[in-house]
Amino acid sequence: MTDGDILLSGRNLSKQFKGLRAVAGVDIDIRRGEIVGLIGPNGAGKSTMFNLLSGFLPPTTGQLFIAGANMTGATPERISQQGLVRTFQHGSYLPSMTVRDNVLIGSLGGMRNARVSRAEQNKGIDEAIALFGLSNHWNNVAKNLSHGLQRLLSMAIAFAARPSLICLDEPLTGLNQTEVTGTLQVYRRLKTDYGMSILLVEHNMRAVMNICDRIYVLHHGEIICTGTPDEVKNSDAVLKAYLGEAHGI
Amino acid sequence: MQEVFQLLFTALQISAVYILFSLGLTLIFGVLKVVNFAHGQLFTFGALVLSLTMGALAPSLGHGWAAYLVAGLAGLAACLAVGLVIYQFGFKRLERDMTGSFILSAGLVLLFEGLMLEVFGGAVRPVPALLEGNVQMLGLMVSRQRLVLLVFAVLLTAAILTLLRYTRFGKALRAVAIDYEAAMLQGIAYRRIALYGFLMACALAATAGMLIAPVAAVTPTLGDAYLVKGFIAVVVGGMGSIVGAVAGSLLIALLESFVGFYFDPSIANLAIFVIVMVVLLVKPKGFFGND
Amino acid sequence: MTEYKEWIGIVAIACALLAGVAFGGSYIGTLVVWIAIAAVMASSLRFVLLIGELNFASAAFFGIGAYCTGYIVNHADLPFVLTLALSGGLALVVSIVFGGITLKVKGPYFLLIGFAFTEALRIFYTRMEALGGNSGLVGIFPPAWLDAHYQYFTTVLCFLLILGLLGIERSHLGKIFIAIRDNENVVRSVGNRVFFTKVVCFAIASTVAGLAGSLHAFANNVISPLDFGFMLSIFALAYLKVGGEDSPLGPVMGAALLVCVASYAQSLGGNEHILYGLAIVLSVLFMPKGLAGLADLLRRKKESVA
Repeated sequence: MTDGDILLSGRNLSKQFKGLRAVAGVDIDIRRGEIVGLIGPNGAGKSTMFNLLSGFLPPTTGQLFIAGANMTGATPERISQQGLVRTFQHGSYLPSMTVRDNVLIGSLGGMRNARVSRAEQNKGIDEAIALFGLSNHWNNVAKNLSHGLQRLLSMAIAFAARPSLICLDEPLTGLNQTEVTGTLQVYRRLKTDYGMSILLVEHNMRAVMNICDRIYVLHHGEIICTGTPDEVKNSDAVLKAYLGEAHGI
Repeated sequence: MQEVFQLLFTALQISAVYILFSLGLTLIFGVLKVVNFAHGQLFTFGALVLSLTMGALAPSLGHGWAAYLVAGLAGLAACLAVGLVIYQFGFKRLERDMTGSFILSAGLVLLFEGLMLEVFGGAVRPVPALLEGNVQMLGLMVSRQRLVLLVFAVLLTAAILTLLRYTRFGKALRAVAIDYEAAMLQGIAYRRIALYGFLMACALAATAGMLIAPVAAVTPTLGDAYLVKGFIAVVVGGMGSIVGAVAGSLLIALLESFVGFYFDPSIANLAIFVIVMVVLLVKPKGFFGND
Repeated sequence: MTEYKEWIGIVAIACALLAGVAFGGSYIGTLVVWIAIAAVMASSLRFVLLIGELNFASAAFFGIGAYCTGYIVNHADLPFVLTLALSGGLALVVSIVFGGITLKVKGPYFLLIGFAFTEALRIFYTRMEALGGNSGLVGIFPPAWLDAHYQYFTTVLCFLLILGLLGIERSHLGKIFIAIRDNENVVRSVGNRVFFTKVVCFAIASTVAGLAGSLHAFANNVISPLDFGFMLSIFALAYLKVGGEDSPLGPVMGAALLVCVASYAQSLGGNEHILYGLAIVLSVLFMPKGLAGLADLLRRKKESVA
């Protein structure tokens, strides 16, 4: 764990809900500038995993390190200050506020401990809005945007906080093909231009295989496979897990 | 020891009325997600109508059981009618809008209190005692009247709890309280359940008011004190929880009778408030709250 | 221009009220002070509504300010401005403690605790000999140098407080308040301190309510526990609801209208409770955006016609 390249490291993370073990002894590492996928059949524990990493749920056992600091049991606010920002699967924006104010909230969170001039701050906000293609909508109220634009907005809010790791919960759901292609392009820029890492929970397998450097496959709360997209594609364990699910349907 | 038993009995007796009152509050919250401040007004209204009808019936029926029964039914009917109007023209239109419904209920408190003051006047309207004298029981001196009221309240509470637990209606009501969307998907007619739940709560408030009437000073502000206690009981127990309402009421009644006796009643009121704060620190959703 | 319309509106109403004090005789002057204090209370209530919570403890903090002032005037001879500041300060300290405990819960729980707190304090006042018990405190007069101008002073200060609240609402802090109301998890996920911000919002609103209570004590000369029950919060709610809670102009308009109507109705022997109750019920059911919303609607209609 002294590896300077490692940004996030979860050790033996578990979450027990009354009778159910939603996440069981998961080890996960994310390096700087890496795009990591987290996939698995429905109910595999992906959402719980996300909540554990971002501090929205305390783990039952295990430890979490972000940028070298022990963040086990820390609040979401604290974890965000340490550089991990997440989005939510549903309604990850502020419905009554304009696009610009939405992004402002992200930027305020990111700059909580920094002294930044108004001009610099405004530049950062405009940059986030432009990056996610929202420039024409900056003064629109978020609840009136199309579903696709709302998805982009939720990512813009997270980006505006300038995290070192951005965790996205099914960000491509409901986007059309052009939007998906454009968004994947943005992910590459987050990585190359801004040096950010991305953790992606996504059902769109083509997109995941296309963009990710490395993938974790979660099944029944355990990591059953990890590796490059090609390695994962050819894993028997993964095939069985997904076939099992397809069988169930 | 004697003293402790006496206090326990007093607590039980106060709690019986609190339970009826807070069951109504928790039912309304569970089903409609509405914090109904006007609940205390229905409680008062029931007591006032009872007192008024008893007065009117006195020449023909006297002060006996028959008069009490008829007047009780009149109070119940009046409260149900008012409840129906409030629901149909008020809460139904603000379906599950918590803040809006709450503001509406706060407005209704002022409106009813003002109207009752205009119509009934501010003076105390005594309700004649139903029974005179005391009985000796387990070494305790207990007024007959309070004993009868207690027994009635306990039986009613038991009946309501049975209704909620075992009947189809009760199960539907609890399903709606837990997750109304899921309940609707299961084919439960949400609107109808909500209306019946609301009316049932109104009937409970009225009954509680009428049970307390013979032993309390019946004025248009009778319900205010019960409203505060009832809400605290529900918050401590967990809003929307039936068991919570019962437990919360018992706790408050115990505090009130013991602290009230060993210190004084207003210290008891302050103690109740401190307890709420402590409970909230430890269990923010109350003892039996789930959401 | 539209960005500043609330500021202009509030200042315009303040000017009208001050003109009322100047030219309207003593009855109008008293009425103006009531309106100004009522407008502050309703604005304070609205301020906490920015984070999505209905603050029923606002009556409690109003009472804390009033009682602190009454106590100081009766027991310690402190300068007027210091008395005012201490009253606001006490409300601030109590609100930080109270908010620090209760803002962990939301919605109905928070609202009912505020309600219980108000009632508990009211009982507390009746128990305290030093606070005059049931009969309250008397002889709370503004200092001689201010006495002749007290109505001006109160009105101006009240409106400065209201404008101050509006200033905070329009700042970045205010945007975080509204963001918390919209979706506090999003606000939290990007690193803003949600709980801390809520306590700040609550403390600001409560301090303002405490100051209003102090001004009220000086204006009324007499205070008693009954003045500070939960009904006071419901009255503030009535001003807010009739005026409309979406706009900062709403509470001011609502207070002006309702206090005037109530005063007129009382002079005819009407019942204040019925009036306020009816005003709330009718507003909720038929005018959910209040007077401010109605004004907005008319303006937009006019624009669309033009």
